[in-house]
Amino acid sequence: MSERFEELARELGARAAQRLDVEATAQKVVQRLREEPAARRRVWIPQTWLRIAAAIVIVVGGAVVASRLTPGRHPGVSAHAAHLVADDLSDLSADELRAVLTSFEALVAGDSVAVPESGTDLRELDAQQLRAVLRSLEG
Amino acid sequence: MAQPHPVPAPSDTALIAAWQAGDEQAAAELVRRHARPLARFLLGAGAPEADLDDLVQESFIRAFRSVDRFRGQCQFRTWLLTIGGNVVKDHGRRAGRRGRLIMPLDESVRDASGDPHEHAEAHEAEALLAAGLKQLPRLQREVFLLRAQQGLEYAEIAAALATTAGAARVHYHHAVRRLKEIVDE
Repeated sequence: MSERFEELARELGARAAQRLDVEATAQKVVQRLREEPAARRRVWIPQTWLRIAAAIVIVVGGAVVASRLTPGRHPGVSAHAAHLVADDLSDLSADELRAVLTSFEALVAGDSVAVPESGTDLRELDAQQLRAVLRSLEG
Repeated sequence: MAQPHPVPAPSDTALIAAWQAGDEQAAAELVRRHARPLARFLLGAGAPEADLDDLVQESFIRAFRSVDRFRGQCQFRTWLLTIGGNVVKDHGRRAGRRGRLIMPLDESVRDASGDPHEHAEAHEAEALLAAGLKQLPRLQREVFLLRAQQGLEYAEIAAALATTAGAARVHYHHAVRRLKEIVDE
């Protein structure tokens, strides 16, 4: 009985499949593939520009915040801050990127930067403490 | 005089790489190679012949769109067939929502060429098998089709369905046993 099923299964749909116009199907698939990447690119462009815009704002915002925290000192800190803040940008969705942009806009506009209680003078902060301050900016 | 050596056909892997590099004809060649076995699998899985061309196209489109996820764990055709199984399932859902019934092999069963008596018997048996396959759980049905219709080894089936060869063998035997029960009813 098992062999009979296998024999029948080998024939299952064979005649209908034979009637398929394979060449026409191949051309239709190619046509659809040709149209589909264009659609994907239309989605990709805004998403990518959004990421780039977010990265620029974060880098500039990070630099502004860092310069407020350490006037005249630690010239390399802004780039480091931007790196810390922008570390996982590529993992963020469009909505998350928008949220980051909004929060940074508010942050850079205001003076709500959290400073460690132990730090009486920002110039006295070491690299680790500065990182802590910058991390607090990430929310 | 020495005969010129025939140029060997490019492998599926080479065609996939060519398609990824932008060669549309590589995609077309993959369709030419695998469309008919895929069509047979889709029909066995419950696709109506009236929608066969659309479902074959959809399976290829999904495969090409997600080809980056194909890691060569099994043959391209086997991977394509499992995608086809998903396409038929989604089609069944949509047809169910629209109140349409999926009747597999509707046209092929009505093929009237040749000896009418032999055809009647063959079509009856084929229709019985098709009806039995519809009653199987999806995994059993797909394992049965991959093994009995497509002639694949259990190891290959297991790689495509992310299971073990032993489990695939068990699914196959359950499918055959259930089909026997259905035929005897």
